[in-house]
Amino acid sequence: MSFEVMVDPETLREQVKEKYREVAMNPRGNFHFHTGRPLAARLGYDESVIASFPESAVESFAGVANPFSLRSLLEGERVVDLGSGGGFDCFVACMQVGPKGHVVGVDMTREMLLKARGAAAEMGLNHVEFREGLIEDLPVGDGWADVVIGNGVINLCADKRRIFSEIDRVLRPGGRIQFADIANGKPVPEEVIRDIDLWTG
Amino acid sequence: MLREAGFKDIEIGAAIDTFGGARGEGNAREFDVHGFPFLAWKTG
Repeated sequence: MSFEVMVDPETLREQVKEKYREVAMNPRGNFHFHTGRPLAARLGYDESVIASFPESAVESFAGVANPFSLRSLLEGERVVDLGSGGGFDCFVACMQVGPKGHVVGVDMTREMLLKARGAAAEMGLNHVEFREGLIEDLPVGDGWADVVIGNGVINLCADKRRIFSEIDRVLRPGGRIQFADIANGKPVPEEVIRDIDLWTG
Repeated sequence: MLREAGFKDIEIGAAIDTFGGARGEGNAREFDVHGFPFLAWKTG
């Protein structure tokens, strides 16, 4: 997708919120993407890790690839997850950084935040928290994070320059971003990019 | 985009057929859309 802002960011945000509210409340609905454990297996997540999670921690997962496939997180690292949804990638991150690390999930959809917090409580995790906010304006201090992760979220935002500027702000010097996203191999016509329905399915 | 934002040592992993068998497969095939993992570093 183009680097330029080609759709109304506010309208896109509301439609994305509505779509993922539905994924939180009805994770087995008829979406244009896969969800849950079958999707996690398809994307190559460690099956023993997936199997160890309760259904509430996995069922609303709607990522597009595996952000941990190029590099695992290290014990004790501080992690921010962009658009954390039902929390699945945060929980994977928790396993990798261990109790000395800390994971902050940021999401704008209240239903997803409630679901993620419930799953974290069910799993007894004390080193993860979920904050309400926009990834264009992260509720995280300057230079706090060792790593920023994300999965299928940046493509859903109109102003990508703003997002990468925010990622740069919250990362410490020498920190890294490891994220998953979609990319198109064939050019997408401008009229299609301007069609917000196609951004959200 | 990552380079323009100031990140370095950018790696892109293998493509994943994210939408295969899902309702969105048609659109994904039309524009050759796949999922990818990315890794990049902030300058120290």
